[in-house]
Amino acid sequence: MPKFFFKKQHQVEALIYDYLEYLQTSKKYFSEAINTCLETGVCTDFDFQIRLTHKFESKADDVREKIKELMYGKALLPESRGDIMGLLEDMDEVPRLFELVLHMIKTQKLVIPDFIATDIKELLEISFENCELMIKQVKTLFERAKGIRSLVSTIDFNESRCDHIERGIITKIFDSDLDPFQKLQLKEMVVNMGQISDQTDRISKRVNIISMKRRV
Amino acid sequence: MLSLLGGIFLGWSLGANDASNVFGSAVAARMVKFWTAAILASVFVLLGALLEGQAGIETLKGLTPLNPEQAIVCSVAAAVTVTIMTILSLPVSTSQAVVGAILGVALLNQNVNIPGLGKVVACWIGTPVGGIILSIVIYRVLAFFYNRLNINMFQADSLLRLSLIVAGSYGAYALGANNVANVTAVFVGAGELTVFSAVLLGGLSIDLGILTFSRRVMETVGRRLVKLDPFSALVVLLAEAITVHIYTIIGVPVSTSQAVIGAVLGVGIVKGIRTVERRTLINILVGWLLTPAIAAVIALSIYFAMQLRYVPSG
Repeated sequence: MPKFFFKKQHQVEALIYDYLEYLQTSKKYFSEAINTCLETGVCTDFDFQIRLTHKFESKADDVREKIKELMYGKALLPESRGDIMGLLEDMDEVPRLFELVLHMIKTQKLVIPDFIATDIKELLEISFENCELMIKQVKTLFERAKGIRSLVSTIDFNESRCDHIERGIITKIFDSDLDPFQKLQLKEMVVNMGQISDQTDRISKRVNIISMKRRV
Repeated sequence: MLSLLGGIFLGWSLGANDASNVFGSAVAARMVKFWTAAILASVFVLLGALLEGQAGIETLKGLTPLNPEQAIVCSVAAAVTVTIMTILSLPVSTSQAVVGAILGVALLNQNVNIPGLGKVVACWIGTPVGGIILSIVIYRVLAFFYNRLNINMFQADSLLRLSLIVAGSYGAYALGANNVANVTAVFVGAGELTVFSAVLLGGLSIDLGILTFSRRVMETVGRRLVKLDPFSALVVLLAEAITVHIYTIIGVPVSTSQAVIGAVLGVGIVKGIRTVERRTLINILVGWLLTPAIAAVIALSIYFAMQLRYVPSG
């Protein structure tokens, strides 16, 4: 279909791809920050990565606002506007969780004990994999390629694994000799980390519904 | 010119109300700007009236012979009926109001073209039924192809928007072609207008209604259709336009609103959901029966009132 006919739709499409790019970059800096923390044990000195994570999180926010403006300026059918807004709002939770975890570590001066470091690494690796799969699934939705359903299953499977790992870490924390206050702090951090995969699972299911709704 | 005012009012009210049946969903959903829709609708209504409006005029003028006085009575009675039914918030068909008014005068003349009337009433029944059948067929056929299109969400959106504009323009064409007879047929029957001047005047008065007063109706009526998904809204629009166009070819003015209701019911049957409330259906049935009856009574009353003369006593 000639692009000049529906310029606004094409602008929305391009902005969504920009949004996904920022999401990916934000994930990259979050991952670097956490790895620095886990590998060096220094969890209070990653201002640079925090700044970058924040920068890309707020760039993603700006893009989301632009998409909103364009859509309410009569681009796309109302049903699609609602679907895309809902999807973007759900996706926005992911970089917010990245920032939240980094700020918790920094402001509460958290130190991740060695006995849970490997588990946390595993939890985050699977969560990152889920983020990648979720981004791929969103792109699939906009490219109308097949395979949305199989991605839902993989993301769902990964999310269950994350839940299992998260429960294991919390058990280990409370079985340890740590200070009770520290235990609560670490538990809160782990719960927030676990929410990353929960959120990707939520997004993945939403994408599946949006795709199914488009079949008549 | 004054004698044509009733017809012009009818045309104006038809344009103000019925444009919503063709562009309502697109305007209410902000897919098309009101002025784009209004201009497209006006152009296509006029085109439809000029190219295919003649058949309906022939049918209506054949229902009974009218003199110029009776033509005015018919058009004023139909206009008053449409106004009363609108104030009562009952669904009203201009076609039924005009035929009811003509029937009232025809009873007075004791000259009713029964086969012609039978054809008109059969088409009234056939309008929602046609809407139902066509929407089921169109839904199935379009869905077959739509589901096989290898396009993404944005392309599908663009395609649906474009289709809604094209189908809306076709609907406006069918509306003009079919309903122009309601506006000026009685004046052709009475020899006051030629067929060409009747379709031109009728088309222009419908356009006047679209351009001056259809915005609010488009937004309110359209919102009800927007509740359907865009694909179903397109099916409803196409089914309505084709139904009305078929009756244009047959030469009987019908109600676009009734065609829409039929089409919405048809979509509900395909999807296995209730798309029209029972109360709406009852209102339509009541309006369907009341409109011609009220128009006939009003036409008779106006005619009797016009015959009253003041005779000074002694």
